[in-house]
Amino acid sequence: MVCHECHMVVPMPQEGKGQASVYCPRCGCPVHARKPNSLAHSWALVITSLILLFPANLLPIMKVDYMGASEYSTIMDGIIYFFKEGSYGIGTVILVASVLVPVFKIVGIMIILLSIHFRIESWLEHKTLMFRFIKFIGRWSMLDIFVIALLTALVDFGFLSTIAAAPAAPFFCGVVIATMLAAEVFDTRLIWDAAAKSHGQHEEGRGE
Amino acid sequence: MGVERCGTGAGGGKTLPCQILVCPDCDLLLRAKRPRPGEKLCCPRCNCVLDAPVENSVEKTMALSLTGLLIFPPAIFLPLLTLDILGLENTGSIYSSAQAMVRSGFFFTGIAVYITSIIVPFVKLLLLFLVSLQIQFRHSNAATLFMFKTYKRLDEWGMLEVYMIGILVTIIKLLHMAKIEYDVGFFCFIGLLSATLLSSSFLDENRFWNEIHAQMLEKEGKAGEVEVEAQPGSNGPTESAVTK
Repeated sequence: MVCHECHMVVPMPQEGKGQASVYCPRCGCPVHARKPNSLAHSWALVITSLILLFPANLLPIMKVDYMGASEYSTIMDGIIYFFKEGSYGIGTVILVASVLVPVFKIVGIMIILLSIHFRIESWLEHKTLMFRFIKFIGRWSMLDIFVIALLTALVDFGFLSTIAAAPAAPFFCGVVIATMLAAEVFDTRLIWDAAAKSHGQHEEGRGE
Repeated sequence: MGVERCGTGAGGGKTLPCQILVCPDCDLLLRAKRPRPGEKLCCPRCNCVLDAPVENSVEKTMALSLTGLLIFPPAIFLPLLTLDILGLENTGSIYSSAQAMVRSGFFFTGIAVYITSIIVPFVKLLLLFLVSLQIQFRHSNAATLFMFKTYKRLDEWGMLEVYMIGILVTIIKLLHMAKIEYDVGFFCFIGLLSATLLSSSFLDENRFWNEIHAQMLEKEGKAGEVEVEAQPGSNGPTESAVTK
């Protein structure tokens, strides 16, 4: 077994000793062959973020007060605005970071989870690569929240013009946090278990 | 780039010292020797980076995290940008942006901004500095271990580089509406970001874990058997890790 905190190799407990927990001699963390209940936790968090995704995208995320008139805009409105203005670069950055990344993360984790459920043995390397990519891009969706926070602080001219967040902001934050946690609790080794069973490389299989 | 195989024990010839590793991503059992600084040890099956030593990792990490800590207060509290619309001026800093979020009634979102852009980056630098300081002066104890574990847990939740892109997007959004001036905070923030990114890229995790463990064993008086040695046997790993 390998300690998931510090990657130290720890011998498997002898069979028959029951399910006594093993602790890593180097960092003291409990060591498991697989993260406990990894699939259930990942599913729960992915479904949570899927539910939160709808209010996050459909409700307005930003409120602009200009000369006393309030104007609400959703994430898509902001992107369309940039494309109309001709700022294609920045429009694409926001489109990728705040719409495509969350959707890709949720769909990607669901594909991986489903393929584990149906024991699909192909594309293992690609699934691992995709998961690493999902983990890497996870934090970049916070971009929109930071932009709004900074705009709120900067554009604060009383009656003339103010910018504030709108109801979608907490939902959007929730999506980012839930997907990051879903990636955190997921155990990549589960992807490989399907293949290991047929090739006999699995650690538990070796003892025979 | 080449596959380096170490001795398999059972066969003849000389046996190189090598250790047994398990890939944390796909659970493949591997044998490998430690790569030289600058090289990377990768899992042959899933390409997970197993070990990437850095020369003088402890010193470099200590210096950079201290730099980050010193530059932290000006980067967070001094104004980043000044906005000038029709003679009216307004400034914003990272701290004030988080505060503005809370003040406008979005408590949850505001707290998330506080945590990801101020608290976690600061705690990360502080922990990294204390850990490398204790390793350098051979004073590792249970607290060092706890601090390093906490650092690893928090790693993902510090989002300074995302905030940097956020600042750039904000600048482009406001560019045609108002005159923007760059303030001291902006340049301090770039410094803070560089120090944070460099300190984590110079961090040699394996070395840190081993040092902490060895120093703790030393204190307890056990001359440590730190490395797991390869045992020649029928159940030994069949594949070697790839050095790149």
